[in-house]
This record gives sequence, C-alpha cells and structure tokens, in this order.
Amino acid sequence: MNWFVGVDVGSAYSKGVITKDSELVGWHVISSGANYRASAEVIRKELVRQAGLSEDDLTGTVSTGVGADNVYFADRKAGDIVCTARGIKNVFPQARTVIDIGSQSTRAIRLSEEGMVTNFAFTEKCAAGSGRFIEVIANVLRVDLSQFGPLSARSDSPITFSTGCAVFGESEAITRVSEGIRKENIAAGVNRALASKAASLVRRTGLEEPCALCGGGALNDALVRTIEDELGINLLVPPQPQIVTALGAAMIAATPATPAPGTGPK
Amino acid sequence: MYFAGIDVGSTMTKAVLTNEGGELLSAVKGPTGPEHRRLANEVMRGALEQAGLQIDDISYIVATGYGRVNVPFADRQVTELSCHARGVFSLFPGVKTAIDIGGQDVKCMKINGGRLIGFVMNDKCAAGTGRFLEATAATLGIRLEDMGDIASKATKRVQISNLCTIFAQQEVVALLSRGEPLENIVAGLHIALASRVAALAQRLVIEPDLALTGGVAMNTGMVRAMRESLGRDVLVPEEPLLTGALGAAIIANEAYREAAEDGTLPTGTRRLEEATFFAEEDL
Repeated sequence: MNWFVGVDVGSAYSKGVITKDSELVGWHVISSGANYRASAEVIRKELVRQAGLSEDDLTGTVSTGVGADNVYFADRKAGDIVCTARGIKNVFPQARTVIDIGSQSTRAIRLSEEGMVTNFAFTEKCAAGSGRFIEVIANVLRVDLSQFGPLSARSDSPITFSTGCAVFGESEAITRVSEGIRKENIAAGVNRALASKAASLVRRTGLEEPCALCGGGALNDALVRTIEDELGINLLVPPQPQIVTALGAAMIAATPATPAPGTGPK
Repeated sequence: MYFAGIDVGSTMTKAVLTNEGGELLSAVKGPTGPEHRRLANEVMRGALEQAGLQIDDISYIVATGYGRVNVPFADRQVTELSCHARGVFSLFPGVKTAIDIGGQDVKCMKINGGRLIGFVMNDKCAAGTGRFLEATAATLGIRLEDMGDIASKATKRVQISNLCTIFAQQEVVALLSRGEPLENIVAGLHIALASRVAALAQRLVIEPDLALTGGVAMNTGMVRAMRESLGRDVLVPEEPLLTGALGAAIIANEAYREAAEDGTLPTGTRRLEEATFFAEEDL
C-alpha cells in the first residue's frame, strides 16, 4: 500500500490530504498563522492520525503554496498552478477551465483534454480580487467568513466599490456602514468586485466549459452564483473546494519524479 | 480683505485664512469624517475664530481636495494639484518639483512659476500613500506619529517585499513572529514606502528645488527615507499639511481680483450653518 500526502500552505489556510493508492482517505484544513512550519507539522500529525498510521508509513509527500518551503518533511515541492490542475483533474476530469480563489491570489487556469495546463493568469502583488478582500471586509462587518455568503445572498442592492484596492475598500465599507447601508449590500458588493476580477482573469486565459471553481472562495455560495452570473455559465464546485490543490500535490507525490535534464545519476 | 482656502482631504480637512497681502492669519486642521460638510464647517469656523473674523468678512473662498464639492459655502472649487502647486511655490519660490504624500494619494508635480506643468499620481491603490504606514502602524499596535522615532532606532532595515498594504500587514505580523525587532520592521516600512514614491516621482524629470509636503512629511523618518531613496535633498515646509489649503487661499485672492474686473463678484451673504446637512443638530 502506498500512502501519499499533499500539503498546500496558503497565506491564510494550510490544507493537507492523505491518499491511499490514489484514493482520498483524509484531509485537514487549519489557519496558517504566522508559523507555517508548525502548521505543516499539525497537518501531518492529523493526517496520519486519520489514516491510523505513523509518520514512517508515508510513501511520499509533496508541498505547494506560498509556504511550501516550510513543509520540512516534504520530498518535493510543486507549483500551485500544476497542483490545482492535477487536483481538479481528479475531481472533475471534464473541466477545461478552473478558477481558484485563494486568500493571496485568484487564479484562472486553462486545461487541455488531458488535464494539462495550457494557459493561466493570476492576480499578484495586490489584494484586489483575492479572497483577502473578503476577509478584510468581513472583519469590518464583524461577520464570520462562513456567514459572508449567506449574508450577501440577502442583499437587494449591492454597493459598488470605487476602486479595487482592498485598503480603500476597507475605508469605503466603514463609511457605508456609518451611512446606514445594510451589511448584506456591502457584502454583496464585495462579491461583485471579486466576481468581476475573476471573470476578467478567465477572459484573459479564454473560457472553455466546463469551468470549475475551487479554493476557499468557493465556500462562499453567493460568490459562486455571482461569478456564474458574471460569466453566464454554470460552475462545477467540488464538495471540498479548499483542498483541491493539496489533493493535486498528493497525486503528484504518487507520480514518479522525472529528473530535470542533467540532474540524474551519471 | 480676507481670503480662505479649505482643503478637504481623505484623512484631514484643513482651512487657512489670509489677508490680501497673502499673509497667513490662521490655520486649522481636523480629521475628515464621513460627514464632510459638517467638518468643513467646523474647521472653517475654527479658522475664523482664530483670526477674529466673521464669515461675511471673507471676500472669496476656494475649496480643494477630494471632498471639495462638499463645501457649499465656497465660491469656487479648484483641483488639489493646482492648489498644491501654488501653495508650495509660495513657500519655496525656487521649487520645480513637489511630492505630496497624503492619507490616500500621492501626487508628484512639476511646477514652473507656481503653475502646474506636469504630474503623476498613484492609481486607485493605497501603495505609496500615507495609508501604507497608517495601516501597518495599526497592525503593529503603534501610533502613526511615533513611527519616525521608532525607525530611527533601527539597527538594520528589514526588507518588506509586499507593495500591497494588505499583504504588507500580513508580512509585518509574520516578521514580528519571526522575532524581527519592531524598529527594524518600521524602518523597513519607511524605506518601502519611500522607494515606491520615488519610483513614481522618477516618471517625471525631477529638478531641484524639490519639496515634500502632505501629512506624511510630518514624519521625520519618511523625510530621511525620501532623501535616501531619491538621492537628493528635499525641502519640507514647517506645516506640510497646509500647502493645499494655502494654495487655495492664494487662488481665492486671484480669483477675487479677476471677478472684480469682470464684475462677477459673488453676491449675497454666506452662512455656514445653512449650508450643512446637519443644521438641526448644530443648533
């Protein structure tokens, strides 16, 4: 039996999955905190506990995400785009486009029929259009992240943010609250801003259906529907959208590494 | 004759009164809240009291800043770029380039004889503005006004890799938890902001004299960091926050003269109270 682990250390959450002969056996998600190394350790402990194993039983581990270097027990690192693509191929083999909304970045990935990455685009250097924008405004509105979608779904008149900048968005949200604008309309305005950013990324890579949505942002139902409206399509959303990239990392762990040219044994 | 300039910025509202010789009679500043109109009135009233004047004594009022449309008692609205250029020129007649770092924007201006001849600004993003320091100070649990002093105690500067203020907030938390001394992080934030502003300013051809204004110029650490990032000396007014309002008052003086020549002087009496949304609360 071969046990493989994938660990995806994101800026907000760390995700891990354990697979047995390519079947998902267990998974775990925790807040990344400031110490990525400690988070990775907690995840490994929990995964082997779920599988009833000891750490020595693991066949291989691949790490990914912004904190991939902190997964000291990983055998290899893999790029997060490749991991997301691989994870989606496992859940929705028919998907030709994936949108991944994470805290640090929102990414659009185009896939070939074989599930290989053919094109991608992502937000960088800036929290506009990433899940962090939701976290920031949820904090202003004093709502739990899990309640952000349900709150937004009750909106009748979403506000429009004047810039994409999450810092300015934060002050704008505070101003709107003080003007008596209802929280649901502010939350829905955030989802709209994110949906429009995600849609513009997808248009950059080219949209080919079926299109899947993953990452923590996909836990926000109202955001899923807003993106569907914006793109005019239905999205495939996995039951556990947050662990797709970690699942991909575990799948890659189960694939023999191809040595880079010139690095193999002489 | 007296003139007033009022600058409703994103963070602070400033009012100055001058006589017809351009001499500064009073200056008042207060934080801009969501209720621009009320605050504009309060700051204006404060400036009048300080100078011992009544609103009807003022011959012409120019409003500027991003909230300038919310100053109903003003005779004219003028963009902050023109007002800053004029204000800075009145303080430093040799000025050719000015950088104004405000709470939510940063303006780099080329000035010729007090006239604006070119500019670049930040674009819909808090990077390069005072908000960068304000937000990270809040994350670090320190007061904005203490940042310069804290930075001066640094033994080295930590590299801050994120331009985005939101990501920089996360980054400073991670740096603190890694055990980086606070002063080294704060020094790193100063140089990060300064290099961002310098990169923007360098899109213009920077010519001396170079002036630094805006609330951020009150932070001595930022003045040092700007000198270093630009590799040049910068002039800083005694009251860096007031240049926009001062320029507005100077433009008010000129506009009055023009209006007098054209016979288009504003008529009727001005009342601060009547112009506000919040008249009933004020009474």
